[in-house]
Amino acid sequence: MWRSGSWWLTLALLLGAGLSPVITGSATLREDMFLILMLITLASSLNILLGYTGYVNFGHIVFFGLGGYIGFYLMHRHGWSLWPATVAAGLATAALAFALGMIILRLRGAYFALATIGINEAVRAFVANFEPFGGATGMSLNFAVYQAYGGAARALWLAYGALLALALITVGISFAVKHSKFGLGLMAIREDEDAALVLGVRGPQVKTLAYALSALFPGMVGVLFFFKNGNIEPGDAFRLHLSIETLVMVMLGGQGTVWGPILGAALYERLRGYLLTSPLFKNLHLAFAGALLLMIILFVPAGFIGWLRARFPVVRRVVV
Amino acid sequence: MGRWMKISGILVALAVLAACAPPTPPAPTATPMAPAQPQPSPTAAASPAPAVKTIVLGFTASQTGKLTKESKEQVQGLQLWLEDLKRAGGIRLPDGTTIQVELKFYDDESTKERVQQLYVKLITEDKADFLISPYSSGLADAAAVIAEQYGKLMITTGAASDSTYEKGYQHIFQIYTPSSRYLTGAIDFLKKMDPNAKRIAIVYENEKFSTDVVKAAKPYAESQGFEVVLFEGYETGTTDFGPFINKIVAANPDAIIGGGHFQDGSTLAKQLFEKKVPVKMIALLVAPAVPEFAQLGDAAVGVIGPSQWEPGAKYSPDTARAAGLPWYGPTVEEFVKAYKDKYGYEPGYHAAGGYAAGLVLQKAIEDAGSIETAKVKAALEKMDIMTFYGRIKFDTEKAHGKQIGHEMVYLQWQKDASGNLVRPIVWPEAAQAAKPLYPLSR
Repeated sequence: MWRSGSWWLTLALLLGAGLSPVITGSATLREDMFLILMLITLASSLNILLGYTGYVNFGHIVFFGLGGYIGFYLMHRHGWSLWPATVAAGLATAALAFALGMIILRLRGAYFALATIGINEAVRAFVANFEPFGGATGMSLNFAVYQAYGGAARALWLAYGALLALALITVGISFAVKHSKFGLGLMAIREDEDAALVLGVRGPQVKTLAYALSALFPGMVGVLFFFKNGNIEPGDAFRLHLSIETLVMVMLGGQGTVWGPILGAALYERLRGYLLTSPLFKNLHLAFAGALLLMIILFVPAGFIGWLRARFPVVRRVVV
Repeated sequence: MGRWMKISGILVALAVLAACAPPTPPAPTATPMAPAQPQPSPTAAASPAPAVKTIVLGFTASQTGKLTKESKEQVQGLQLWLEDLKRAGGIRLPDGTTIQVELKFYDDESTKERVQQLYVKLITEDKADFLISPYSSGLADAAAVIAEQYGKLMITTGAASDSTYEKGYQHIFQIYTPSSRYLTGAIDFLKKMDPNAKRIAIVYENEKFSTDVVKAAKPYAESQGFEVVLFEGYETGTTDFGPFINKIVAANPDAIIGGGHFQDGSTLAKQLFEKKVPVKMIALLVAPAVPEFAQLGDAAVGVIGPSQWEPGAKYSPDTARAAGLPWYGPTVEEFVKAYKDKYGYEPGYHAAGGYAAGLVLQKAIEDAGSIETAKVKAALEKMDIMTFYGRIKFDTEKAHGKQIGHEMVYLQWQKDASGNLVRPIVWPEAAQAAKPLYPLSR
């Protein structure tokens, strides 16, 4: 990985884009980049399961919401600092995914996809009625909390920096998985699970590990997002809509590639952001975005990166 | 052939994407003109032309998503305020400066991440001087964090949750009566109308605002000698209340209170009517106060709703004088007429709240004689006025910015002599415009 030119290129591009708000000091740019990096992290982590292993997960956002809740709970009720809370939340969601994976990854195809939707709804209903997490009202941080990080403005920059680091790590892990024996096992499962088992891939274990790995990062992002938000409620934490949007991003960019989720997330978010604030489209943006997505899915089913790699074999060495 | 179609499809998609990709912000529609004003002539210094300043008032509106109906009313109210202000020639400060106001808003899709992103944009890029909150407690709460972080004043309207004001914010000021006082009047009403009614069922949307309301209403009902026989939340977006209605019937209550927002509240009212649930009173949040509730027809009759304000509200310069408060802004009749002329129907309280938010800010700028945040903030803290919308006074202590002057009214959908649906105020008694329909005949 460290000798791969492609990895350094990815790192340089992401770091360059991620540092641009820091260099210009622009808060608007930072907010835009915050959303993009958050979506890149969500999409890249989803890609480990969706792209490499070929398991459609509609409940990816459950780890984002639950991670946010666990981190928020530790900060709000136990006065933890943001950093240990973030790590603890990530580990907790990964552990949960590991336990869940042992059970539901015995399902394949549409049955697994349905089970993931069920998990999202079940966790949301549980949290909405779980008093330590504030029930339906959720929890909110007192504004004074931000003083511990040197004031609200600085806290936002810190959260952004942490997110940037997290996004880089996620993409790095995604890259490493793709080029490892573990990743080969996942892709063998994607192509033909039965054949993979015959060839000696330890199916259930490998799949469960992939699921746990893909749950680690959303859990941590959730804490950063809701820390910045200042409050957390079940409706915002477990939005099935966001799960589906993340799926679209991965499909748009190209599933099973490292760059696909990055490009898909950035394009999708920029497009939505533009349509939302453009005087011309702001009343029609959902219809417009929908029509555009339909066209892309119809004509370029492999996603943008997939199409690029199929059409121009030369770029395969660089664009992974 | 298929190949060409594919390629041209891709090209079109890419071209559209390329056209959209650069994140250029839309050009501001008006630029601040104060420094750029050309001086007519150097000798005119003896009679300086009155300076004109333009301030930007930023907010987001939920044009898509689940809150579109209520948000639209609120924005229309705000736009009407701006029109009235323009007609009056802007806000005049004591030093002769005239302040013109420009509204700047985007669609927040009824989601929090958009709200935060767009409020940062409004503050840093569009240079908004003052902010108005989005509709709903949840979104306003998300916007409040940003406003406070950047030290911008925000008037919240359409946001009633108490909790936002208990987080130590210093720049957020609430127009609505807080949610802890939303349904307490309905309980008083029931007690007055029927001393034999003892059993109340509370059925509510399981989300922030409605939960805040019923959590305050339940102990209040119990303190008034009622028995809460059912206390149960339903999911946001519920469309089939069948199971809940069965539970309600089984609990055999005298009255049902609760609800949530427009969609679920009107569905619940409709299904309660269709199943002929035998209760004497129904009081629901939000939905009955939205004019479209009339589309339910017979199912709307008898339903009571708490309202921040109603066209029949009895606030006037006379009541202000009696209370020893200064009066400000249009009278109730003037506001209702202007709104009806512009939009073709009577305003509900969401619209009035939008108008009042603008009006309160206007008054604060006038009192402060400045558009500086610190001075306007001081003016808001001192404010104690009566308007067409009712009394406005803010808490300045522990729950800074919370509304403590304004009172709720309760309306009831009834049929007038010609069979049209109307919604007169039935509570408090002092403001009663029609005889309450009690008990419901179902």
